[in-house]
Amino acid sequence: MSCIRFLTKHSPSSSFSSSILRHIRFMSNVPENTVYSGPTPQTANQRTTLMQLRQKHRNSKPITMVTAYDYPSAVHLDMAGIDICLVGDSASMVVHGHDTTLPITVDEMLVHCRAVARGAKNPMLVGDLPFGSYESSSDQAVDTAVRILKEGGMDAIKLEGGSPSRIVAAKAIVEAGIAVMGHVGLTPQAISVLGGFRPQGRNILSAVKVVETALALQEAGCFSVVLECVPAPVAAAATAALQIPTIGIGAGPFCSGQVLVYHDLLGMLQHPHHAKVTPKFCKQYARVGDIINKALLEYKEDVTNGSFPDAHHSPYKISEADAEGFSNELQKLGFDKAASAASEAVQKLNATK
Amino acid sequence: MSCIRFLTKHSPSSSFSSSILRHIRFMSNVPENTVYSGPTPQIANQRTTLMQLRQKHRNSKPITMVTAYDYPSAVHLDMAGIDICLVGDSASMVVHGHDTTLPITVDEMLVHCRAVARGAKNPMLVGDLPFGSYESSSDQAVDTAVRILKEGGMDAIKLEGGSPSRIVAAKAIVEAGIAVMGHVGLTPQAISVLGGFRPQGRNILSAVKVVETALALQEAGCFSVVLECVPAPVAAAATAALQIPTIGIGAGPFCSGQVLVYHDLLGMLQHPHHAKVTPKFCKQYARVGDIINKALLEYKEDVTNGSFPDAHHSPYKISEADAEGFSNELQKLGFDKAASAASEAVQRLNATK
Repeated sequence: MSCIRFLTKHSPSSSFSSSILRHIRFMSNVPENTVYSGPTPQTANQRTTLMQLRQKHRNSKPITMVTAYDYPSAVHLDMAGIDICLVGDSASMVVHGHDTTLPITVDEMLVHCRAVARGAKNPMLVGDLPFGSYESSSDQAVDTAVRILKEGGMDAIKLEGGSPSRIVAAKAIVEAGIAVMGHVGLTPQAISVLGGFRPQGRNILSAVKVVETALALQEAGCFSVVLECVPAPVAAAATAALQIPTIGIGAGPFCSGQVLVYHDLLGMLQHPHHAKVTPKFCKQYARVGDIINKALLEYKEDVTNGSFPDAHHSPYKISEADAEGFSNELQKLGFDKAASAASEAVQKLNATK
Repeated sequence: MSCIRFLTKHSPSSSFSSSILRHIRFMSNVPENTVYSGPTPQIANQRTTLMQLRQKHRNSKPITMVTAYDYPSAVHLDMAGIDICLVGDSASMVVHGHDTTLPITVDEMLVHCRAVARGAKNPMLVGDLPFGSYESSSDQAVDTAVRILKEGGMDAIKLEGGSPSRIVAAKAIVEAGIAVMGHVGLTPQAISVLGGFRPQGRNILSAVKVVETALALQEAGCFSVVLECVPAPVAAAATAALQIPTIGIGAGPFCSGQVLVYHDLLGMLQHPHHAKVTPKFCKQYARVGDIINKALLEYKEDVTNGSFPDAHHSPYKISEADAEGFSNELQKLGFDKAASAASEAVQRLNATK
């Protein structure tokens, strides 16, 4: 498109430009009369870097993080200027409809990662290592982390937990050259031993463990740590003890940044049951689910009573002459009902004009 | 949960029920103090069947179809009472951000199918055969169709086009016991030969071809045919010529039903570029993208100025005694900053009460 404008603006004579235009109009890769075309590529690399996050943290400016699982949500996060885009294994619950984050596989996570990478050009991209893909050994952890970056297009990975083997794995991944975000407190992949989605750090022992684990992850080379579902004072302590930023979810206001799940913050799922299970720590910034519901009911109504599509939404025309020829051709082939339907349609359309 | 209610209501003595309760309270699969739990399973099979669609068509009641690609959208379609839920290869464009429907693979389609199957219990589920998965031979077509039903949980498949080999493939799939929805007019997988996303049926030859192809697909055993981006009189003719229902998109008001892409009808993608390329035949029933954008900006503002999370969204508590013990423990371990941060946090929280 821009090359046409260039040629018409800068060509020496109008006959030259019109012949160029005539030539271009017949090229099949310059779409004419199209229904829809694709997105234009972004230019300069504006991707949020580790250095920028460090700077924000140093200047006590809160870091924003939101999850995304596909191209549109990634575009939205990009447009809103969110710092970090997390492709979370929470996809297992909010996109795939499972009860836990356990079922999602690395291959499924990679599909989400790639879609998000296509959509978000500015936020830093962090991909979760899903349950079962990194717990056996450091080797397995490094292999999975490599795939998330190589095949998924992410900038960094996040893994859950702080057991000794987990710390060793985190270190190995950092040594492989991959930035790691830690995750302590309620770690949803461990609901089996936790006994459910239960907040952590609510007694002295557990609270101290949260702080110590976060410190161990920092020691291993993590660039930040997510604190999930712990009391605010515990999160405050961990944040003060660390040099790296903490990103909280259900962890109070004293963290270096906050993260929420896309669908929860937008009020996407408005099924009666889901409305009950939106986490209490999540603020709904919109009720998108209600709006979607209303829009779909309206579409159904419009289609059922025949008001959609109207003339405005039926844009593709066939000339009257061709319509007549078409009708005759159908009659010749023996399709009488079709022939009259075509003629009737032309009449109806003319009547509404 | 319901078993607890049952036991307390129906047990002969209160001591029996209280001992049962005590027992249950220690069972790990009865979540207490949880953050979020999963959806409850649906009961009776209310799935829309071929017979019901045939009935609607016979009674001249328009059939509604919308695309869905994940669990939440499937739930929304279910709640709105949409007849058919199409897991379209349009996912390639609206979910994965590609410029065409060509890149998506069968494995990726299956992930979408499974997520949708989990969410939509009432609409009929139709899965698209993606580009490259069924064109080589009838065998390949049947194998892919089988996977879509077996691994994807769909009720039927849709394939594009009407060349002789395509008709043969459709017939083979029907003979394998799988319901087939045809698709003529603009077939997005064929943009290579079509020269782009260009509306079809706009001259006599092309218009007659649309009708003949639709009839051939009916002959092969298809239960319905999608008509995409053809002039209204051509769609009217095809609809009249067929005994099976036609589902139109950009094909005017004379089809047996209508289909739209989820993201288009909801105005999901509000990136300046995408707003330009929303198809002209699509009516936007909401501007969800704008709402999402506003909500994300508000979240970013709230986090940046520290107003989220407030006390209402920081629900996890640690007792004052434990908080003090925690602070002391941290001091013993040498984390003085952390210890004072914890105490300060407790004070601040008490102040805001």
